[in-house]
Amino acid sequence: MTIPIGSGHGLTNLEGHTDFDIVWPWNQPGGLSRGSTAVLRVKNEAPGLRFVLPPLLRACDHVLLVDNGSDDGTGEEALRVAAEHGLSDRFTLKEYPFQVARAGAEHLSVNERSVHSLAYFYNWCFSHVRTRYSWKWDGDMVLTTEGEVSMSDLSWQVGMAEAVIRFPRHGLYIESDRKAYLDLGLRNIEEWGFPMSPDYVYTKAPEWEIRTTPDRIEMFALPQGLCVELKWLDGDEFAHWTNPESFATSIRNRRKRREWLVWNALHDGEVPEGVVEIESPEGVHVVDHVTHTWLPRAPRPFVVDDPDHAKLHLRA
Amino acid sequence: MTEQPRAIDEMNPDGVPRKVLFVAGAGRSGTSTLAGIVSKLGMHVPLPEVPPDDSNPRGFSEPQWVVDVHDEWLAEALVQVSDSRPNAWFDTGRICSREPARIRVSEWLEPHFAEHPELVIKDPRLSWFLGLWRVAAIRTGATPVFATMLRPPAEVVGSKQKYYANKLGSSHLAASWVNMLLHTERATRPAEGDGGRVFVRYEDLLTDWVKTTTALGHALDLQTIIHTRSDQIREVHRFIDPNLRRVTSTLDDLGLPKRLHDLTGQTWEELNKLADEGGDTTQAHATFDQLRQEYVDLYEEAEAISRSTAEHARHQARRRARAEAAEGQRSLADRVPHDVRAAIPPSVRRGMRKALGRSRDDQP
Repeated sequence: MTIPIGSGHGLTNLEGHTDFDIVWPWNQPGGLSRGSTAVLRVKNEAPGLRFVLPPLLRACDHVLLVDNGSDDGTGEEALRVAAEHGLSDRFTLKEYPFQVARAGAEHLSVNERSVHSLAYFYNWCFSHVRTRYSWKWDGDMVLTTEGEVSMSDLSWQVGMAEAVIRFPRHGLYIESDRKAYLDLGLRNIEEWGFPMSPDYVYTKAPEWEIRTTPDRIEMFALPQGLCVELKWLDGDEFAHWTNPESFATSIRNRRKRREWLVWNALHDGEVPEGVVEIESPEGVHVVDHVTHTWLPRAPRPFVVDDPDHAKLHLRA
Repeated sequence: MTEQPRAIDEMNPDGVPRKVLFVAGAGRSGTSTLAGIVSKLGMHVPLPEVPPDDSNPRGFSEPQWVVDVHDEWLAEALVQVSDSRPNAWFDTGRICSREPARIRVSEWLEPHFAEHPELVIKDPRLSWFLGLWRVAAIRTGATPVFATMLRPPAEVVGSKQKYYANKLGSSHLAASWVNMLLHTERATRPAEGDGGRVFVRYEDLLTDWVKTTTALGHALDLQTIIHTRSDQIREVHRFIDPNLRRVTSTLDDLGLPKRLHDLTGQTWEELNKLADEGGDTTQAHATFDQLRQEYVDLYEEAEAISRSTAEHARHQARRRARAEAAEGQRSLADRVPHDVRAAIPPSVRRGMRKALGRSRDDQP
């Protein structure tokens, strides 16, 4: 059974911005080539890109970064990092000029065919992919060394397999260049790798967008300890949410509630249960230390002690 | 067989960082020769090794555990050592992604560093699991380095047909070679934490192993090779037999279909360039990406054309499975041919049934 939304030529938007109409990439001349593309939708993520982009650029055939109204030089920083690592040929920067609804109540009220909808925004972003496999990626997610080589292998191995790949990640709350807190009290594993075909397009879910799948897919999960999600303790981590009440609505928001708890505790000078304080050696940034040394060398099996996990019967 | 590891003599082994040399490439390409040389020069092959046999009388330099675990996973993934399917890489890739497999390999690797800081792992099945071994090296704090052996495909195919009595035909073997080498090139491209890779022509190794191995040692910064001892060098001179390259044939001898012939020839030509100094460039990688795409297209076309054969094989397998299941349900008596059963006197048959606690409904 084909997903109705993906079966046509593409999508048009309610506002009539024809220059932002969507043509599904498999309908583009030349079709899709083998390999993978990581797609990042970002707003004001400049500080983390020097950690996020290099491993991603090495692991994927292409990285597409879509800037949605940043005013902190995110686009320029992304171009700089790609050039610095000699990987500009694998990098594309695009801009999406419309204000996109924040996750939660605001998102719920927007029609998914509006240019302001998260679903439309994501479909527009992924319509620029030219490979058969795609990784949805966030502007604050940093691969560890093991994560990088794992993603790199899967990116060329996956071919045309109908496989959805789940990637675990751990919040890394950064206090300074040499000190951070790694949250190992939440098992958080989401679907990040998807084939590019009419069966895998974005549509609307209550709090945010959701990617469709056919009724029969193969799904598998990568091991824990391969990716961290940067949280700058001096930043505005929850700006893309309508308000904290927006993530008190369902079990789907468990991760956000945990982040809210950890964030506030650390600001109050407390280290919550399950959070590990990590200090890097002199001259090494703590993000590099965690992703290149601490996590790759952590004893296995890598234990993420999430007391709610079993209770909620969540998959991981 | 390789002897017990020897100290890096005038060096302090404690000061040598951990490194694992992974020797990849198609079987019958000289992988045993290279692994044999570097182990005789002092690198350590984790013991016990696979014993020599007629196909490789000088030994394989393969750790038995590695061969066994690869066989186990290949069987699970339904992948052959010589497998021409591009999709087979994802089948083994899934196994490489599993945490239990990663733990198993890392835990096996770790204690061998107590024997020697520079290890060599070789197995013709290795290419299917390179990602897993790279992860194991990262987890054990070692730097992975890669050497891929290159031998003309016509000779590899000829050698396999000669030594393994391969009945699958040269087209299949040539396609498997292309699939193996194009994806091994992809799998060994520089990644974070790697210490480099080299491509080594089998011919160069036999012609001048000193020059070839010294270049390898410097390119991969293998301390054992760079600082090897005189007696170890002498031992390799006793080990290397120029007659090892016993099969010589050309691609034309294989009689391949034209597109496969051309693709095999181009792949060999491009691989050869990687073995030249300065040949491993991003432009070369782009060429290999194209060749891989061409091979996948060719394979998918062939697969589409031969769909009826695959369907037929599936139906045959299903019928065979049903027949075997039915066979399993038949009684012992049913399996005895009728004329044999008829020759047994009725009184004896009744006695046997009684002894077995069975009776027939039609008899009192």
